[in-house]
Amino acid sequence: MSDATATPTFEPRIVGFLCNWCSYAGADKAGSAQTPYPPNVHVIRLMCSGRVEPEFILTAFREGADGVLVLACHPGDCHYKEGNYRAYARSQMVERLLTQFDIDARRYRFDFVSAGEGEKFVNVITEMVNTVRELGPVGRLDAVMAGAAEHKAGL
Amino acid sequence: MLTTGDGSMETTVGVYFCHCGGIITEKIDPALVRTAVLEFPHVAYFTEISLMCSEEGLGDLVRDINERRPDRVVIAACTPREHEKTFKRALAGTAVNPFLLQVVNIREQVAWVVDDPAAATRKAVAGIRSAVARVVHNLPLQKIEVPTRDETLVIGAGPAGMQAALNLAQSGRSVVLVEKHPMIGGMPVRYESVAPNMECGPCMLEPMMDQVLHGDAHDRIELLTMAEVTGVKGFLGNFEVTIRQQPRFVSEVNCIGCSMCVDACPARTPHPYNCGMNDKPAMAMPFLGALPNLPYLDMDACVRATGEDCTACRDACPIPDTVLLDDAARTIERTVGSVIVATGAGLFDAGRVPQLGHGAVPGVLSSIEFERMSSPSGPTAGKIAAPGDTEPQRVAIVHCVGSLDKEHCDYCSAVCCQVAFKFNHLVRHRFPEASITHFHRELVFPGKEAGRLLLHGLHQEKNSFVRYGRLADVRVVDQPNEREVQLRDGAQWTSAGRYDLVLLCPAMVPGDDTAALSALLDVTTDRWGFFEELHTRMSPTQSKAAGIYFAGTCHGPGDIPHAVSEGMAATAAILSSIVPGRMMELEPIRAEVIAERCSGCKICLSVCPYRAISFDEANGVAAINAVICQGCGTCVAACPAGVITGAHFTSEQVYAELRGILA
Repeated sequence: MSDATATPTFEPRIVGFLCNWCSYAGADKAGSAQTPYPPNVHVIRLMCSGRVEPEFILTAFREGADGVLVLACHPGDCHYKEGNYRAYARSQMVERLLTQFDIDARRYRFDFVSAGEGEKFVNVITEMVNTVRELGPVGRLDAVMAGAAEHKAGL
Repeated sequence: MLTTGDGSMETTVGVYFCHCGGIITEKIDPALVRTAVLEFPHVAYFTEISLMCSEEGLGDLVRDINERRPDRVVIAACTPREHEKTFKRALAGTAVNPFLLQVVNIREQVAWVVDDPAAATRKAVAGIRSAVARVVHNLPLQKIEVPTRDETLVIGAGPAGMQAALNLAQSGRSVVLVEKHPMIGGMPVRYESVAPNMECGPCMLEPMMDQVLHGDAHDRIELLTMAEVTGVKGFLGNFEVTIRQQPRFVSEVNCIGCSMCVDACPARTPHPYNCGMNDKPAMAMPFLGALPNLPYLDMDACVRATGEDCTACRDACPIPDTVLLDDAARTIERTVGSVIVATGAGLFDAGRVPQLGHGAVPGVLSSIEFERMSSPSGPTAGKIAAPGDTEPQRVAIVHCVGSLDKEHCDYCSAVCCQVAFKFNHLVRHRFPEASITHFHRELVFPGKEAGRLLLHGLHQEKNSFVRYGRLADVRVVDQPNEREVQLRDGAQWTSAGRYDLVLLCPAMVPGDDTAALSALLDVTTDRWGFFEELHTRMSPTQSKAAGIYFAGTCHGPGDIPHAVSEGMAATAAILSSIVPGRMMELEPIRAEVIAERCSGCKICLSVCPYRAISFDEANGVAAINAVICQGCGTCVAACPAGVITGAHFTSEQVYAELRGILA
């Protein structure tokens, strides 16, 4: 496991919340096709993207994730009818929240990956890893707090 | 054994690593994994198995668990989508509850996709670390067992509903068959012949109707005609159904169907089953040969409704206590385990395209009007006639009235081309010299039998075919003693011939009752207004509500074989899901409200895709029905107080997994 340093060798740690029915199956599809992709994304399997609480995402960042992915069934394909729409709506809020926490919104990505889209899964992972690698390690909470204190002092 | 899932340090975890016959170990070094994993808290041991899903491998797994007696188990192997169920079943042979297992996907998501072996090994270790951290918080869960009723409600006694009722009754199940009309048989029983083989509709259906009314299993079918479902409460295995049955004013038990009451009736009313093309007595058979062989009294049309004390029908009846003039509507309550909706479709109202002249220009008939005209039980006793009671020698048939049309129905109605060619056949048979023009857009004749009907119609000397682009460019103009079909090219309308009869083939559209019934049953409708399937291709007869099925055209256009097959398919689903004497087993992955901490905000009620959550007014808290809940966890994530637990995906478990990854 690499140390999180902002050198070219920085290997980001990314947490992916995947729904069981489409996106996790899409990830397996990439596996069956034996398409290589960067190993930086660690998957947490949930039954539905609708289960993803915004707190899961914030906690992942607090605990040191450099990026977070939420992957869901395509609109209209949700195994549970509409969980993916809830996930999408919450995602919009999360993106705004992250900015307030001084976390670059590009560290978070919501996308749709179907059970057949192994290739899309690989692309999403690769793009995400590249983006986060360029952004460098996520700011530690103490750094954020220091920034906030500085901001307050300046008021 | 520890069962609290509190992550206590004494909880032991046994880690099993599958080589997958060398496929996993080609990339991941088990020796390095072992060294790393044995350092993790809780891990008691690390066992490698060369091929865990094999009979031998599963035997080794069970034996090893029974010897070492861990509290929890982590298996690093292929995707849990492949063998988690296999491993869970194997755990039944151990003291470890199947939900105290966590599977790490080190094949599809590590060995097969990480190029560098060192990186692959590191990723596998992180995955196992995360699974160990989570599994100590897992809770033992048991399948939920629910008692079920094996009776079935079938709504609609057309080909689909009758077939379903028969299959269920023949297997020993009780059926409540609700039909809103006074007769059974659905739409095709009203047709002189059915496509593509020109078989007589009533003759084809008679054996099926006879089975329903008098067959060996008929005593298990409670047929309620003139009845509609007015209330449904409950869920798979336990639906409480309320049915409202209108009075027939004729005893179903005593009546012998002699029709003497019909002959005596002085009142007349437009015939509802002949599209109002003729009148019928208030006391009447629905039509000649309708089954059950019983008349019904339309009280709105009866002279008694105007206050007159007419008893002509009762006086004419040879059997005492058979005409029941004081009969009244009744409410019937039944409890069933499942519901089959087979209410059929409706026809696109051609009057919505006024330029086609339906209802305004004489001699312009919709398909159902022509079906009745050509039927011996119809308004003209089967005589096909143009206005003025003349023989039609020039007939236009307009296809796709409303179908494949973005302004109306953007789908193909599946059967109308065959209906059009059936009409061609009927006209040609009676009037061999008639000229017939088809105004069509596409010609759709799939399947092994329909092709003959197509070829038969295509190659008649006196037939002609005109392809039109948009329905908006077709109009029918009333001319003295004839009707002119005109087509528009640009701004110019030009004549496409003059006809004695113009037959319109309207699209199949959702039945009138669909919206109301979908609300009663709490099932969804699709963007066209048909009942919506769980999956149009893979679960085509299943609704999105467990225990409610669709058969026939109530959920989209289709033909008779389609309807009959779906009646059988829905039956098979019911027979396999509800077995008398057997409890229904449900996966325990369900959400639950911690009632004492619920603030009663009702947010969860609004997000549940299954309406599994109700509000307990007495206690001011939300309550989740475990049978309806499908375990998606959307409400768990939505609860602002965090007092809904998603079994096997609790926040505690997810956070443990997350921290395991990021440790």
